[in-house]
Amino acid sequence: MDFWHNLTLGFSVAGTPIHLLLALVGVFLGTVIGVLPGIGPMTGVALLIPLTFSLNPTSAIILMAGIYYGAMYGGSTTSILVNAPGESSSVVTCFDGYEMAKKGRAGPALAAAAIGSFVAGTFATLMLMIFGPWVAKIALNFGPPEFFSLMVAGLTVVTSLAGRSMVKALLSTLFGLAIATFGIDQQSGVPRFTFGNPELMDGLEFLVVAIGLFALCEVLVNLADMRQAVQERLTIRGGLWMSKEDWKRFIPSCIRGTLSGFFVGGIAGAGAAVASFVSYGLEKKSSKYRDELGKGAIEGVAGPESANNSAAGGALIHLLCLGIPGSGTTAIMLGALLMLGLQPGPLLFQQQPQFVWGLIASMYIGNVMLLVLNLPLVGMWVKLLDVPLYLLLNFIILFSFLGVYTTNNSTQDLFLMVGFGVIGYLMKRLDIPASPVILGIVLGRLMEEKMRQSLVISDGSMMIFITRPISLALLLLAVVSLTNPYWKQIGAAVRRLFGKTEPA
Amino acid sequence: MKPNREERIASLVLILFSLAYLTYAAFLIPMPALKQQLGPDAFPKAIGVGMVILAGIYAFQQFRGGLADQTKAQEAEKRAAIIGAEGKIKGVADLKTMGFMLVVMLLYAFFFEHLGYAISTFLAFMAGCLYLDRRHPVRDAIIAVIASFVLQYIFSAWLRVRLPAGPLSYFGL
Repeated sequence: MDFWHNLTLGFSVAGTPIHLLLALVGVFLGTVIGVLPGIGPMTGVALLIPLTFSLNPTSAIILMAGIYYGAMYGGSTTSILVNAPGESSSVVTCFDGYEMAKKGRAGPALAAAAIGSFVAGTFATLMLMIFGPWVAKIALNFGPPEFFSLMVAGLTVVTSLAGRSMVKALLSTLFGLAIATFGIDQQSGVPRFTFGNPELMDGLEFLVVAIGLFALCEVLVNLADMRQAVQERLTIRGGLWMSKEDWKRFIPSCIRGTLSGFFVGGIAGAGAAVASFVSYGLEKKSSKYRDELGKGAIEGVAGPESANNSAAGGALIHLLCLGIPGSGTTAIMLGALLMLGLQPGPLLFQQQPQFVWGLIASMYIGNVMLLVLNLPLVGMWVKLLDVPLYLLLNFIILFSFLGVYTTNNSTQDLFLMVGFGVIGYLMKRLDIPASPVILGIVLGRLMEEKMRQSLVISDGSMMIFITRPISLALLLLAVVSLTNPYWKQIGAAVRRLFGKTEPA
Repeated sequence: MKPNREERIASLVLILFSLAYLTYAAFLIPMPALKQQLGPDAFPKAIGVGMVILAGIYAFQQFRGGLADQTKAQEAEKRAAIIGAEGKIKGVADLKTMGFMLVVMLLYAFFFEHLGYAISTFLAFMAGCLYLDRRHPVRDAIIAVIASFVLQYIFSAWLRVRLPAGPLSYFGL
């Protein structure tokens, strides 16, 4: 009964004209961002955060969630038509989507991507609705040690999946945590790393760093090589619909992708990109038509596109129920919500039910809107690919400056943003991932606060993090995430130690 | 694998940054009047120590060829593909273009309040467009006017968001 009451509450919030409009604007902007190569959902959400300043938290999250979902939908269009993924979770769609387009089957490929995304997005929203309150109830039993360990685990999982080098990814995370220590210490009132500058008393503004590291960095990356080869854009020939045979092959892949994406990408916190690759691997093992994968099989589009949308929904469970972002994009959303004065976490379901259920209901509505937008309007999205790159770059600079200035009316922030843009470019050049920095900034102050609260409880003993079972389990998960890439080497070293020979 | 000069320099810079951060955390954060379980310097010190260690490992890898093994590099690439890690930037960067646009951005930031949003945005937008592609100056100028003056009006009059007007404040903006 409570469940239906909450859902009714949610639809009454999401169904207001202003929230319907915001959901539409969000999914529209998100699709634009997803279609344009080089601007991922992280950059898009960061650039569009200033739009949310005049909104209340419920309206803001509806807008941001729409952008997040929309980017997942939109990314498949460029993968299929240009062989250039709109964002990282659409990389896999290129393998078969582009091949299908080359064979004159772009329409069925786009339809498979859109319908798969709709089904998976709806499923993930349903799961959020069913499991969200349950997870939040469990998390209410968490104390400061559990929250600290949960944040450590969340940071390490994202760090371990962030790039090629664990050392570089960890350095990036610690850099983010270091930036979070700038400003007045909340508990003692002591200034840290302010260098006598009154504008640094509140610390480094999260948006300044996010827009610098993502948006301006992308501008610099594109400027560094403006003479890149023009990619051939295929046109859509024939109908936009799937045949009976396509549907028979689409349905099982969509189901597999949806389930695997939700659990791997969402619950396990591995993210949408990993989810799409796992789904492709699953198709290779379980599909009857696995020999056609890589040559234009519809399973190669249906599975991964379902998986990445399902994972995006799963990541929102982490954000809403635990207050821990499960991906770079949800980290930026968390930063935006903190700026709006809202603290996502287990208490949210009790204290702000209209916020949570309004978001859940708007995700259902948003999914329908995206299905309508993506299929019939695909021709319009394709036209976006014709916008000259130099105009796009100048617009990104303009919106970056506008967004950052409207936060604090500070010129110093503009200079800092440009500085972080250069740092972001250098990080990219050195293959140091930037998303752990954002996670570190967003979680840093909270981590320190929970650690200090834990030590007050334990009278200064660090053993509190190990003697409490949930905290210990989370810390072990953190250790597993960090050591994961080295298990092969550790195994080989152990075998050498015990004198066993290497397997052939 | 050939040693990468950029990465070696970066590793040394990171060591210096980490040491600077740790030094500040250890000696320059004032102690609060009331004693606490964990002072305001503890967390920064822990981060600083971690950064110094990791920067040291990074420098060791670069100077002693930690990733020189071709097999390890291939495995790293395979894993990177699976987790969707972004592609590496390779090749020589067009420093002239980047440098020009960086100067434009810095001047844009400097004049943002002095000249106001509209004028500084128009100038920065035009400078960027004309430098990067001067084939459509009229079209670019129209877009620049919309992006600057029209947006300034929309933000001030409709959205009630204050943007610096600069000299245009004499005209009531």
